[in-house]
Amino acid sequence: MRDVAIVGTGQTVHARRRKDVSQAGLVREAVDGALADAEMTLDDIDSIVVASGPALFGAVNQPEKWLVDGLGGHMKPVVRITSGGGTGLAGALAAMNQVSSGFADKVLVVAYDKLSEGALQYQISTLYDPFWGREFAVGIMGFASAYWKARIETLGHTEEAAALVSVKNHKNAFRNPYSHVRKEVTVEDVLNSRPLAWPIKLLDVPPISDGACAVILAGDDVVPQVSAKPAWIRGMSYYGEADNAANRFMLQSVPLQLAAQRVYKKAGITNPRRQFDVAELQEPYTNFELSYYEGLGLCRTGEAAALIESGATEMEGDIPCNPSGGCMGANPIGATALIRLAEAALQVTDKAGERQVPGARTALVQAGGGWANLRGVAVVGADKN
Amino acid sequence: MEAKAATPVMMRGEGLGSAPGENPTFAGRIELPYTLTTGRAASVFLAELANHKLVGSRCEKCGDVAVPAQDFCAACGETTAADFEVAPTGALTGFTATPAGVLAMIRLDGADCDLVHKVLDAELADLEVGTRVAARWAASPAGSMLDVEGFEVSDAAAAGEWPQPFEATADVEPVLEQSYDLRLDYDHAFGPYYGTLFDGIATSRRIQGVRCPRCTCVLVPPREYCDACFVRTEEWVDVADTGTIKAFSVIHMEFVGQVREPPYVYAEIVLDGSATRLIHSIGGIDVEEAKERLHTGMKVRAVWKDAEPTGSLEDIDYFEPVFD
Repeated sequence: MRDVAIVGTGQTVHARRRKDVSQAGLVREAVDGALADAEMTLDDIDSIVVASGPALFGAVNQPEKWLVDGLGGHMKPVVRITSGGGTGLAGALAAMNQVSSGFADKVLVVAYDKLSEGALQYQISTLYDPFWGREFAVGIMGFASAYWKARIETLGHTEEAAALVSVKNHKNAFRNPYSHVRKEVTVEDVLNSRPLAWPIKLLDVPPISDGACAVILAGDDVVPQVSAKPAWIRGMSYYGEADNAANRFMLQSVPLQLAAQRVYKKAGITNPRRQFDVAELQEPYTNFELSYYEGLGLCRTGEAAALIESGATEMEGDIPCNPSGGCMGANPIGATALIRLAEAALQVTDKAGERQVPGARTALVQAGGGWANLRGVAVVGADKN
Repeated sequence: MEAKAATPVMMRGEGLGSAPGENPTFAGRIELPYTLTTGRAASVFLAELANHKLVGSRCEKCGDVAVPAQDFCAACGETTAADFEVAPTGALTGFTATPAGVLAMIRLDGADCDLVHKVLDAELADLEVGTRVAARWAASPAGSMLDVEGFEVSDAAAAGEWPQPFEATADVEPVLEQSYDLRLDYDHAFGPYYGTLFDGIATSRRIQGVRCPRCTCVLVPPREYCDACFVRTEEWVDVADTGTIKAFSVIHMEFVGQVREPPYVYAEIVLDGSATRLIHSIGGIDVEEAKERLHTGMKVRAVWKDAEPTGSLEDIDYFEPVFD
């Protein structure tokens, strides 16, 4: 099995609505960015993985068929991967396996969603079983807020602690040129913002965005020819669990812990708080970031509020989380997990500009989809394992 | 979101083992509104239909002309633009009859790919591959593909040389957005497990689950296999219409397709005797008060609707908290 590195990344200008491009045009913008970054052309690409959210987001079924044209996929392997908010990471995993197995030397993974085109909460609600619960569904917001409330009661993940996540990520997003939400908020702003699905309030929620991200992966024997500054994928995994299995544990995502365990073992991570220089976490709502601190072992169970309050996850802290601003700056759902991976690659190759964590060499990436039942983790480093 | 239950007259779980198509189904409907973005090239194509122009794009790398105009060349991925015009005449390369009329692949004069459109006032017998056709333009253009009403059989040869470089008509605004309504109707088969569950709810307010022989947990809704143990469930078990709150939140937001009017309490409830989560709502309590008085682990009981049962979760109006 070959080691795999990220040798190019690109992102679109994310926006609440990109009226100037079609879905295909949006995707191509990210691809052109990644190709330019890697100093490649479409001719250099052996295989393409398209990743996007549920097809109902875009009203184009089997969108990879459409995107073959815009991606130079004519007569090349093209597959699509989808997995909710974790779509981008699941797509990267598929691409990584194509490279590590020797199926392809250079794989383009492109992830996108153009969420401005339809009615998002309704679309997400159709993910529910039509017989059982869809009539009560509020996207995943009803679910997410309910279990946050349970974690407030049992783990002390308070509204104030979640507000600190919002403040931090908004502040970091301000430094990220790809963000389309650029405003600083205070804890009071968050606590006083309009309740959407209490305890979730407006400023606990990322924006709805149009955007795409593209990443080019290459095998270790090809890397020296194509990149002077690769970001090595030191481990990547993606786990699932049955949505409504008996006695499902809801206070922590078990698949997240399984994925982390596996990836940490591969990358030799025994003390995540100390060994990671930076983390990019895909937080669909602020409260999830608190939960991920615990699930990823950045702190012990029940200590997430104390961790954010200590400032450790701020830019200046010992484990900066979401220097990009996370989803708060932009949240094109299908792309958002790949954006986290791309941002981690920028960090460990010292290309993150104003949001650079000085000297970062090892980065943690987390993403997930579904009702907290699909979870992925990756470790990206300046060095190989 | 509209989800109408099938008529409860016929039992959902009845007659299992007979032809599957004979069992009643659950009619699910998804109706989603969209405002699609057409993109650079297609927005020009759509706008120029009003001027009776068919705008394509020519790839500088491979020379192919695509119509409608595309942002990218299908053959080589090169970026292309709405820069060439093809003739409103062409020849059929394939066709078929549908209930909506004859549809055809049409190779317009000057184009290197086919356009799919209608052939008007024609029978299959009149047509063959190579039959010449000409565009019939709609009387009132609306910025859509149907501004070409269709194509009619015509002996007219291509007038002039095609393709021609295209020059945008003055004052024509590109059609950047198009509204689109997606309506999807489904007939979901209940199957023996949901069928039995909803029959019981419709006839006797009875909620049934299945027990996993390995972990002994009772699963609601019932299912053929235990998700965690992956062994076949065998035993049907009645569960109570009382339970405990596993988690809850208060819904304030409004959204397209919402069934219940906010504010209301969303809840995930574990029914007594089961080990799985039921998604429903909690009522009989002021929503602001609910934020203070409800907590996880609290007992709730189902409040059934007085109305004619439909055999769905909607037959339970809501769950009400049982305060000690």
